[in-house]
Amino acid sequence: MNTNSTTKFPVSQLDFSLEIKGNETEIVISSYEDHFMVIATQIGAMGTVLYARKEEGVSINATFNVSVIFGKRDEPMLVACARQLIEHVSVSGSSKPLVLSLGLKDHSAETLKGIISAVIDNRMW
Amino acid sequence: MDSEGLEKEIEELKLQEKKGDVHAYAQGQLQITSFSELVNDVCLHFQIIRFPKQIYVWIGYNSVKLGHMYAAAPTRPNNVVSVTSILGGASDNTGSGIAHRLVLKTGLNIILACNIPKNSPMLQTEAEKILIQKLISLGYTKSRLGGTTL
Repeated sequence: MNTNSTTKFPVSQLDFSLEIKGNETEIVISSYEDHFMVIATQIGAMGTVLYARKEEGVSINATFNVSVIFGKRDEPMLVACARQLIEHVSVSGSSKPLVLSLGLKDHSAETLKGIISAVIDNRMW
Repeated sequence: MDSEGLEKEIEELKLQEKKGDVHAYAQGQLQITSFSELVNDVCLHFQIIRFPKQIYVWIGYNSVKLGHMYAAAPTRPNNVVSVTSILGGASDNTGSGIAHRLVLKTGLNIILACNIPKNSPMLQTEAEKILIQKLISLGYTKSRLGGTTL
């Protein structure tokens, strides 16, 4: 029987909200053993889910693979957002892939920049 | 009811809380519940994020890996449940069945990430049982008479 009542939950999580262009945005960041997960929602649902990872290769310059795995496939700003974040993850020294979930009311560059800076300010990598 | 009996019941309640070691917090619209349970020498971790119209669940079996991810929802016609694998795995892996039944129980869209290995039906059943019990206690499931609880 597990009697250790001070065990911390193994997944580190961070949950905060902020306003971006007038829309209340809630962000959850979770760190698993082999992935980072970032959820940013303004619509009360997870929205579009993207997967971004660093490619394994011999070249010095890292390359990344970003794809939409669920949801809108015709919003390039979402892909750009995932691409920015995975590069930041990589530059910070981690090679864990990123699962990014964006449920947004608007897909303007300003909104996505706001999300990127909020996530980076509170990053878990 | 005498006060001694009441006190004992309250003690038991407190003990149960500690055993489960549930971390739950709500900020804004989201409610996050995370807890771990030891089942037959195996540690199962659960992370539940409740959105207004959706639930995200992660089930960890011993490790803290994300595992395979599935999306499930009631779809046309007649709100029949559809499940698809969105990260890793195929449609016959452990998580897809759980995702399917979660939609039936909650009536909401479900995103489930689960790293329970294939071909472990006992473990899958146990994990699902614990998860459903927790969802019921949190009030996320549909009432028996029908209708969705929000």
